[in-house]
Amino acid sequence: MPALKIFTDSIAIAANEFLQFKRNRSAVLISLVLIPLFFTVSQGAGRGSAGSSYSQTANIPMVFVDNDRTMASVRLWQTLSGSQDFHRLTQASDEQTAIAGLGLKQYYAVIVIPKGFQNILVGSISNSTQARLILYTDDAEPGLTSEVTGTLTNYVQNFNPSIEVQPIVSELQLVRGRVGGVEIIRRGTSFPGFNIGLTVILAIVQIFAVFYEIAGGLSREREEGTFARLILSPMNISSMILGKTAFDLVLSTIRTFTVLGLGIVLYRGHPNTEIGTILVLSLLIALMTMGLGFLVSALKVGLRAVVILEFFLVLTLYAFSGLLIDKELLVGGAAVIANSLPFSYAFDAMRRTILVGRPLLSLTTDLTVMVASIVGLYVFSYVLLLTFRERLAT
Amino acid sequence: MTEAAVITTKDLTKTFGHFTAVDGFNLTIEEGELYGLLGPNGAGKTTIVRMLCTLIAPSSGTATVAGYDIREQAAQVRRRIGVVSDGVMLYRDLTIEENLKLFSTLYEIPNEQANARIKELLDMFAFKEKGKRMVKALSTGWTKKAMICAALLHRPSVLFLDEVTAGLDPQSAIALQEFTRNLCDQGVTVIWTTHYMGEPDKICDRIGIMFAGKLVKNGTPEELKHAVNGVTVVEADTPDLSREQLQKVKRKLNLNGTSKLKYEDSKLLITSDHNNDLAEQVATALMDVGAKIRAINTKMPSLEDAFIALTGGEEEIDRFVEAGQK
Repeated sequence: MPALKIFTDSIAIAANEFLQFKRNRSAVLISLVLIPLFFTVSQGAGRGSAGSSYSQTANIPMVFVDNDRTMASVRLWQTLSGSQDFHRLTQASDEQTAIAGLGLKQYYAVIVIPKGFQNILVGSISNSTQARLILYTDDAEPGLTSEVTGTLTNYVQNFNPSIEVQPIVSELQLVRGRVGGVEIIRRGTSFPGFNIGLTVILAIVQIFAVFYEIAGGLSREREEGTFARLILSPMNISSMILGKTAFDLVLSTIRTFTVLGLGIVLYRGHPNTEIGTILVLSLLIALMTMGLGFLVSALKVGLRAVVILEFFLVLTLYAFSGLLIDKELLVGGAAVIANSLPFSYAFDAMRRTILVGRPLLSLTTDLTVMVASIVGLYVFSYVLLLTFRERLAT
Repeated sequence: MTEAAVITTKDLTKTFGHFTAVDGFNLTIEEGELYGLLGPNGAGKTTIVRMLCTLIAPSSGTATVAGYDIREQAAQVRRRIGVVSDGVMLYRDLTIEENLKLFSTLYEIPNEQANARIKELLDMFAFKEKGKRMVKALSTGWTKKAMICAALLHRPSVLFLDEVTAGLDPQSAIALQEFTRNLCDQGVTVIWTTHYMGEPDKICDRIGIMFAGKLVKNGTPEELKHAVNGVTVVEADTPDLSREQLQKVKRKLNLNGTSKLKYEDSKLLITSDHNNDLAEQVATALMDVGAKIRAINTKMPSLEDAFIALTGGEEEIDRFVEAGQK
C-alpha cells in the first residue's frame, strides 16, 4: 500500500536523521543547547528581566494618588511601595497637583486610583467589568513609559486586594489625554519584562534553528550525494519531507522546553497560558519554518547561501513581523508586508496567549493563516522538489 | 530490441542550455553483458548513466532499462538498478551496516532477508569489523566497496559503475574488475564507464567509445582494435634522448595530425596510420640524430591507439577536454 510505504519510509528517514544527529556532537550542542541558551540569556540580560535583582523602574520618581481610599487601593499602595520596583513611589493627595509635577519634571509618572476602584473589583466577580487605574507618564522620556507600564501591569495583574475580594485585575487599561501641557499617550496594553521576551525568543530560536536544519540539511545532502542516493531508491519524496519534519518536530519540542525552562526559572517569566498552548504555537512556527526551508532547498540553494538567507529571514521578521514593533503600529508599506507575512500571525498568536492569556482556539484568524501557510508551503515545496528533482540530483 | 536486451536507447539526447552533452545515443545491451563506456572527461558518459538511472530526464529520445521506460516507468526502473557513482554517496555519519539497513527499508526488503543480505555482502567484500565503522572513517577503496554493497543490496538486474576505480589502489581495482566480471556471469548487466583505457580492454564484453556526446564506435575490444588496422605502432628502446633530438626525430618522420609520438622511461612510442615502413624510418631518424638504440619493435594497436584514431587524434581530444574545462 502506497500510504503504508510512505509511512514506513518516513519513519526510516526520521530514524536516520536521529542517528546522524546523535553522532554529531556539535550539532546537538548548537541546536539544543547553544541557540536556546544564547537567545534566552542575551534577551534576559538585555532586558534586566522581571524578577531579577535589577529593576529599571526602581529609581524613577513616581506619585501614587488614591482617590478611592478603600482597602483595595490601600493594599495596592502597600504592594507597590513595598516592592523592589517602586523605591521612589510617594503618595500625593491631589491628582491635578501631581500631574502638574509631572510637567515640571518632579515626577516621571503618576498612578491614579479612581473612585469606585474597589467596588468595580468586587463587582467583577459577577460581571465582566474591569477596574481601572490611570497612569500618566512623561512622554518626553522615550522608553520610560513602556518600562513603567510593563512593571506596573505585572504587579496589578498579580494583585489580590483581600481575601474577601477574590478577583484580581486582569488587564490594565490606560487612558489618553492632554493634561497640564504634558501629553499622555495611550501605549496600549503592556506586559511584564520577560513574558514579552519569551514570545520573541521562542519564535526566533525555532526559526533560527529549524531553517538551518531543514534547508541546510538538504543542501548538505545534495552536496554530499546522499540526496541522489535517496531519490534513486523507490522512496517517494513525500517520505523524505515527512521524515525530516518528524525529526525536526522532536528537536523543536526539546528547544521549546529549554527556552521555557530558562525563561521561567532563570528570568521568572510568567506565561499567562498553559504549556501545551505554548508548545503548539511553537511547533506551528517550527512547521512554517520547515515549509520555508523545504521551499528554499528545492531551489538548489547551497549551504553558504542558506546561512546568508537565514540572517535575512530573521532580520526581515524582526522588522516586519511584530517581533519588536507591534504590527498594528506599522504603517504604509511596512504594514502591508507585516500583514502578508504568515509569521506575523504566529507571533500575534504567541503574544495573545502568553501575554494576555487568550485561549488558543479563540484565535481563529491567526490559526487559519498559520495552518493555511503550513499546508501551502509544504505543498509548494513538494511540487518544487518533484519539478526540480533533476537539478537537485546533479 | 532483442529478446534478451536489458538496455535499449534510441536517439537519446541531453542538452544543458546550448550545450549538448549527449547527442543521439543509440545502443542495445544484453542481459549479463559487461559494457564499457570509454571516453575522455566531459564526453557524456556520466550524463548517459544519469539518464539511464532516471536521475535526469533526457531532452529527447527514448530508453528502456530492464524493460521499463526511463521516462514513464522511472519508479520501476529504480527498483531494478544499482548505481555506484561519485555523485551518489552513502551517509558519512552512519556505519556501513546502518546505511545498508536504511536502504533495505526503502527497498522494502523484509528484516530477516535484509540482515542475511547485508551479512552476505559484507562477507563478500571482507568488511569484517569494518561493517560497524562510520563511512567517513573509511579509505577511498573501502568507501567504494561500501557503495557497491549498497548498490547490490536489492539484487539489481542492471548495475551502473561510473568511474568506479578512480582513486582505488591497483589491487582493489583488479579485485573489483574480477568481481564485476563474476556478477555478469551471474546474469547482472553492467555498464562500466571509465576514462582509463586499460580497464575495459581487460574485462568488457563490448565497448562504446564516446567523444563529444556521441557514440563514435561500438564493438568488442578486438573489433575496435581491428577497426584501426591501418594504424602502425612502433616502440623504440632509446635511452637518454634529449629534447632537441626528439624534435629532430619528429621533424624527420613528418608525422600527420592523427599520429602520436610519446617518450617515456627510455621508450619512444610512435603511432601513425598507413605507414608500413615506420619501424625503418624511426630507426633511420634515431641514428641520424645520434641516439642510442637498444631495440625497435612494431606492435599491435592497443585500445588506446584505437581510441585516439577513432576520436581524431590526441590534439583533438586535448582541444575537447580544454573546451570542456572552460
